[in-house]
Amino acid sequence: MTSPTGDYWELYVSKTALPRWSGSDAQFGWDGTLIGLPIALGAAVWFSLVLPLGRVLMLLPLAMVRGHRSRAVRIEAVKNFPRREVLLWTTTDGHLPRVLDEVAAGLSEGMIARPVGAVYTGAE
Amino acid sequence: MLSWYGRHGTDAYDLADRLPRGRGRVAAWNAYVCQTYADKLAESCRHAPNEAASYARALYDLACHWLERAQAPDGRLDLVLPSWGSLVRSEEELVAMRDTLTALRTYVAFEIGEDDPRLTAVDEQIATVDELWIPRPTPEIRAGIGTALIMGIEKAVELGGTVALG
Repeated sequence: MTSPTGDYWELYVSKTALPRWSGSDAQFGWDGTLIGLPIALGAAVWFSLVLPLGRVLMLLPLAMVRGHRSRAVRIEAVKNFPRREVLLWTTTDGHLPRVLDEVAAGLSEGMIARPVGAVYTGAE
Repeated sequence: MLSWYGRHGTDAYDLADRLPRGRGRVAAWNAYVCQTYADKLAESCRHAPNEAASYARALYDLACHWLERAQAPDGRLDLVLPSWGSLVRSEEELVAMRDTLTALRTYVAFEIGEDDPRLTAVDEQIATVDELWIPRPTPEIRAGIGTALIMGIEKAVELGGTVALG
């Protein structure tokens, strides 16, 4: 839906909270030597991509099982322009249709709804 | 250990009933709140004592403090409950908090009657909790339930204090 200010929001409903991507903040500096270049590149790929990806892949099945065992449902409102913004509500499956309607109505009016039976967690 | 701690404040359960309305009874009501809350936590969190033990101990200490003040109730009588260190409570802690809120509401409702409109503020928080209460809640849901329970307990404490003052 589109807010009065022209922001375009997409709503996603899921039962699974995806594991967070936690890449390393470390700087992988190259010491200027020829042998140091592949080591620095390898370390950067390993710590920024391979390890975080492995962590996500390991935690994903657990997150999916947890999500499907619980009656909690996540509603994410995503805006990608001019900058990405994600708002999160959590509710229960019994309240989902009403809460989703209220969230959508709120966003289309430029407001953040706080429906009964839902928890608004804020920007992710 | 916690049950030993809790024995010092057991007078809190009937002191408020024995005192006439006034400042002494407000202090006794505060002691009742703290003792009830701590006992519920100690009971519900028996198998995970580390999480709630320090909070329950602080409440037991407060209960004793208010029991002493009931004898000479000078100064301010506002009950400030200890703050939880984080937003997300465990399921056992939530059960204890919900039982505490139910007990406080029952006590106050007995004093002022079920139809008293002042109970609405407490009942709204109980309704919020009921809407969110599900098996295996996520951390977000537990945070929402915990917040509503804290607000409900605070409103019940305030109302009970007003009623006790007369």
